[in-house]
Formats: sequence, C-alpha cells, structure tokens
Amino acid sequence: MTFNRFNRRLHLYLGALLLLWFFVYAISSAPFAHPRWFEPSSDSEPLWVTRFDRPYELAVPGGADLKAIGAQIVRDAGLNGSFGVYQPNQKQINLYFPNFLKPVRVTYFIDQKRLHTEDRRFRWPQFLQSVHARGGYERDSLLDDAWAVLVDLNCIGLLVWIASGLYMWWKTPGVRGWGWLALAAGWGLFALFLFAG
Amino acid sequence: MLSRIIRQTHMYLALFFMPWMLMYALSTMLMNHGPVFRKPPQFAVEREQTYTAAFPPDAGPRQMAQQVLSDLGMDGAHGVGKPGPGGRLTINRLDPVAPRRITYTPADGKLIVERQLFRAPALLERLHRRRGFQQPYLIDDAWGLSVDLVIAAMVLWLASGLWMWWELRITRRLGALSIATGLALFGFFLLTI
Repeated sequence: MTFNRFNRRLHLYLGALLLLWFFVYAISSAPFAHPRWFEPSSDSEPLWVTRFDRPYELAVPGGADLKAIGAQIVRDAGLNGSFGVYQPNQKQINLYFPNFLKPVRVTYFIDQKRLHTEDRRFRWPQFLQSVHARGGYERDSLLDDAWAVLVDLNCIGLLVWIASGLYMWWKTPGVRGWGWLALAAGWGLFALFLFAG
Repeated sequence: MLSRIIRQTHMYLALFFMPWMLMYALSTMLMNHGPVFRKPPQFAVEREQTYTAAFPPDAGPRQMAQQVLSDLGMDGAHGVGKPGPGGRLTINRLDPVAPRRITYTPADGKLIVERQLFRAPALLERLHRRRGFQQPYLIDDAWGLSVDLVIAAMVLWLASGLWMWWELRITRRLGALSIATGLALFGFFLLTI
C-alpha cells in the first residue's frame, strides 16, 4: 500500500469511527452559541425535580477537605456514583453527579441544616451541552477517565484529519490554486478575529 | 459531476475552516487536561491615571462601563459586575489576545488599566469559549456567525464524507465496522456515565 493510499484510508476510517462524536460536538455547539434559542418557555415544567428534602446535620469545619465532606454526604444520602463537590459560599455545599441522561444535584444548606436532592428532567439542549462539556481526568472513576481518553482521541483525530487532508489536497492535481486561496482566506479572517477583537 | 462537487466542497471548506478546527482541537485537548494547563490569570499594570466620570444618576454598571471604555478609547466587548465598596467598578475588557482589567475607584478618582499576561493555553480557551450575538459589537457577531458556519461545515463534512465512503465500494465493509464501533462506544458511555 502506498503512503498516499494509506493516508486516504486513514482519513476515511478515522472519520467513520469518530463520526458520532463529531456530529454531537457539531450540533451541541448550537445551544452554546445561541443560548436564547434554547431557553425553555415560561410555561414549561421546571428543569430540576426534587427527589427529597430533609433535615440533615454535618459539621463543616473551616478548611475541611471538601471531597471527604462530599463523600460523607453521599453516603448519608444513600447516593452513589462519581461526583463533584464545591462550596460556593459559607452557607452551602453543592454536589453534582454528572450523567448524560439523568444528572443529580445535591445541596447541603449548612445554616438551615437541610439536604436537598434534585433530578434533572431530560431535555435535548442540556443533554447535548453535557456531552459537549464533559471531559477531564479529575474524577475518581475509571469510566470518566476512559471518556477523557476518548475526548483526547477526538482531538488527535481532528489533527490527523487536518494533516491527512492537507496531504490529499497537495497530492490532488489541479486544486492547488483554489486551495491556496481558501487557506489564505481562512487564515486571514481568523487573524482578523484574533486581532480586531 | 455531483460527486466532484461534493468532493471539492468537502475539501475547500476544510481548507478555509482549518484555523477554527485547529483551534478547537488544541483547546479541547488543553481543557481536557485542565489542572495541568489552567493557571490563574496574571495581570501587569499598563497605566494608572486620574479619571473623573459623571455618570447619569440612574446609570447601571453596564452603562458606566460603556462610558469609561469609551472615554479611554477602549470600546469593545466587555463584562462588568456590581460596583464594589466605594462604588469601585471593575470592567473586564474581553479580547482574545490581550484581555484587560480596568478598575475605576470614584472615591479617589483613580483608574488602573491592567493587561492580562499572555499564555497560549489561555488564548486557546478564550477562543474556544468566545460567543457572538451577546455584545453590541459587529466583530463579535461576525465571530458568532463564523462559529455557526463551522457548525454547518462540520455537518456538511459528515454528510459528504459518508457519501464519498459509500461511493468507494472497497471501503464499505471496514467503514461500516468503524461506524458501528464508534456508535457502540458512544452508546456504552451514554448509558454508563
């Protein structure tokens, strides 16, 4: 197999393998680019549904390890799965269980000694945004790390498409002139956005 | 003829939008490794001057920020929060390459302009997150339009790519296997995480 042929096949099969990710990343960009278009109407049901709201008390000393506090809350609430935790202010601790289809969020109101747990209704814009934004190796979960590896693979895939696409363009007779023009126009416009912002 | 049009559209669109795709690939990878690359922004004072603004009595932070930026000759996309103690106004002048922070303290008539120190990962993340249609500036709307066109181009690449794959009989079986593997992997993660 010649390198030219190998390059073409690589471009094609990589595209086929990552097709769904590429499609989801494309259409999920729309709710980020046009948030107003995807806002729920005023009469639609609330996005978050209360699962339970109950009295709860857990000491939160200053400078406490938030991850450990979060793990304790998760145990006490009878929840499971990988979660993130943050403290937006002194009065509450927020936990979230990212899930593409059914995410859950928990709020511990420290001053009110109250634990509030909610499930998110399925809605396409939120679902797409959660797929788009998910990534990173910070969670203690093998599956989350595996997803992050796939995100990296998608990025590498894009770079390979660019490189292999450039090679195909260069090797195709009769398209260099217009190709140069497209490249120059693209880079010119991009530079304008970069420096006129 | 149709096949030729599809192939050339696929290729020329890709050549034109190459900078955007390069930026999205690199920035996504950096964001996926956030703790390694993400550092708190650092600022260097660019200038410090006395400044007195007479704001209309009912002016909100947005209007005040607009006036300050206009007086400084720095009009453009920006963000501003509620005024701090003593009416201190902090304006973030959004700019992909050189964002600036402008702090105006009416109590002592002092104004400080700070420039965010350049870091390539931060530049890529800013470009990735840049939105159009949310600021009253043409350049930002034009950027937003370019992002919309990138989305349309991505869908077109997929459709035209599928067309070209189907035309190459010899690649149908392995191509179908690749698509099925991708679908299965995606479905697995959709249901498990």
